[in-house]
Amino acid sequence: MDDHKVSRLQLLAYDRPVLWLDGVSCQRNGSAVLDSATLGVANGELIVIEGSTASGKSTLLEVAAIARAPDRGAVWFAGRNTTTLQRASLPFVRRNIGYCAAEPLLLVDRSVLANIMLALAIRGDSPKAAESAAREALTLVHASDLADRKVTSLSTGQKRLVALARAVAGPPPVVIADEPAALGGEEGRTVAVSALLAARSLGAAVLCGTSDTALADQVVRAGGRRIHLAQGRIVGTPAVELVPSLASAVGRKREIERKGLPPHIEHGEETIAIPPATKGPR
Amino acid sequence: MKAVWIARSVREQVGSHRALVAAAAATFCLLAVAAGGAKLGTKTAARWRAFAGQNVHVIAYLADDTDGERALGLAQILGRSATVAQATVLDPAEAFARLETSAVGAGVAPKTLENLEPTYFPRSIEIRLAPAPDLADRAALLAIRLREVPGIAQVDAMTSGLARLALWIDLGRRLGQGMLVALALVTLVALVAVFMRSRTTARQRSLVLAQLGDTATGIRLPTCLWMAAAALLGSGVGALLLRFAWRPLLSRLERSLGIVSTLAPPLLNPREVEIGLALVLLLGLFMGYFAAPLPRASDHA
Repeated sequence: MDDHKVSRLQLLAYDRPVLWLDGVSCQRNGSAVLDSATLGVANGELIVIEGSTASGKSTLLEVAAIARAPDRGAVWFAGRNTTTLQRASLPFVRRNIGYCAAEPLLLVDRSVLANIMLALAIRGDSPKAAESAAREALTLVHASDLADRKVTSLSTGQKRLVALARAVAGPPPVVIADEPAALGGEEGRTVAVSALLAARSLGAAVLCGTSDTALADQVVRAGGRRIHLAQGRIVGTPAVELVPSLASAVGRKREIERKGLPPHIEHGEETIAIPPATKGPR
Repeated sequence: MKAVWIARSVREQVGSHRALVAAAAATFCLLAVAAGGAKLGTKTAARWRAFAGQNVHVIAYLADDTDGERALGLAQILGRSATVAQATVLDPAEAFARLETSAVGAGVAPKTLENLEPTYFPRSIEIRLAPAPDLADRAALLAIRLREVPGIAQVDAMTSGLARLALWIDLGRRLGQGMLVALALVTLVALVAVFMRSRTTARQRSLVLAQLGDTATGIRLPTCLWMAAAALLGSGVGALLLRFAWRPLLSRLERSLGIVSTLAPPLLNPREVEIGLALVLLLGLFMGYFAAPLPRASDHA
């Protein structure tokens, strides 16, 4: 998997993606569930990670959503290595990622609308703006009629829809969805893809994991990139395609080698000085 | 999270878990009653000790041939003794007046004393002993000595009444302590139950908020706030209960024990109430802080 590795100079050279997984590995019960995965997602990009059950999709998405720390490798968010951040700093990264987990976590004693508004509240929206964005997100997933219902009264499929609406509400700079169309059938696929596309159209970087080839095909038809994951490894995709602008980065690398680094980047620095991104592109 | 969202979250949590909030407030009320009751119990014990001290009298009845000057001289000599707080010569009229006052205080019908003549009482010296834990022994010893003194016809050490009073006070103290310990145990169990229940309800909420990127403060503050509010409300109600119920209860108890005191039944002073409320408020904040656990498994670092 060495071909997935990107050198430090390359990282500095290419147009940095908002989210970048650098050689990420995870283990569970002593066996590798994710092995040196490298992947970058740029603003406005849509990537679908396709893989069978237990291929490591959910683990990769959890790591990307900063919901799980990798055993090896690093997760860069807006130029910051989140694996070296202090624990108290992580919430400020997480709030910029709309994460729809395979098993969605919702506040069961609250209404659907309150659950979606909560994510926006944490990002700093006013109650009025949060309510408006939450209703828009519910409309996106064709679930406006669920707004005032308690989460306890929802079916599993409806809960997934609500979690997807919460992930795309706003939208945040990065949207990550794990099996967004599960239990939804053909209609569910269409709804999920349209919601993800809507988030992308507003500038969000979208990362979606699925074992459903039909969903992956829809994403690709809509202009998304498809990446295959098998036994915890990214397969069939050249390293240069795993990170956006890597091809142009190679050109820039050569230019840097000729002219030297741009003034804001110094040799030997472990991190890159990028303004913190705590607010979405809305 | 902005203050408006924190306020909203507190309101929603209280609305969703009304029974838990009510249980928390009731527990803090119980705690206030237990702590305030302990303080008032201490004050009452001091009051009863003072009452016992005030009423430990040795009465030395003077012989008929003892004149006033001799009686006054005897009282002065006795008054110099370290164990004696005060020695007063009582003439028959004054003794009768005191009996009437005590009888009225104890709820005896005035008619009962109607047929008594003031001259029925002989001249006497009333000796009030200095407060000490062994008043009964002291009174008995003094009585033995006084019986040897010329001019004194008879001595009443009132030891039986004194022993009975000491027994009642001791019984009351033990009963009070027992009730207080039981109340403290019930309060402790209730506090632990409220804490565990709050922790269970806050755990899932903490997981969701942490995943959405809320800070430790944002996760913990709403629980801290509603718990502190419940603590303040509960302890306030407890303080009011003690303020309005303690005196009537104590008066009834003292009447049934035959304790008549000129001192007003004790109450908590405003400073004590303020300190108590502040302490319970802190306990509420502390419990709220630890009742909202931060998820660890999903964290980096």
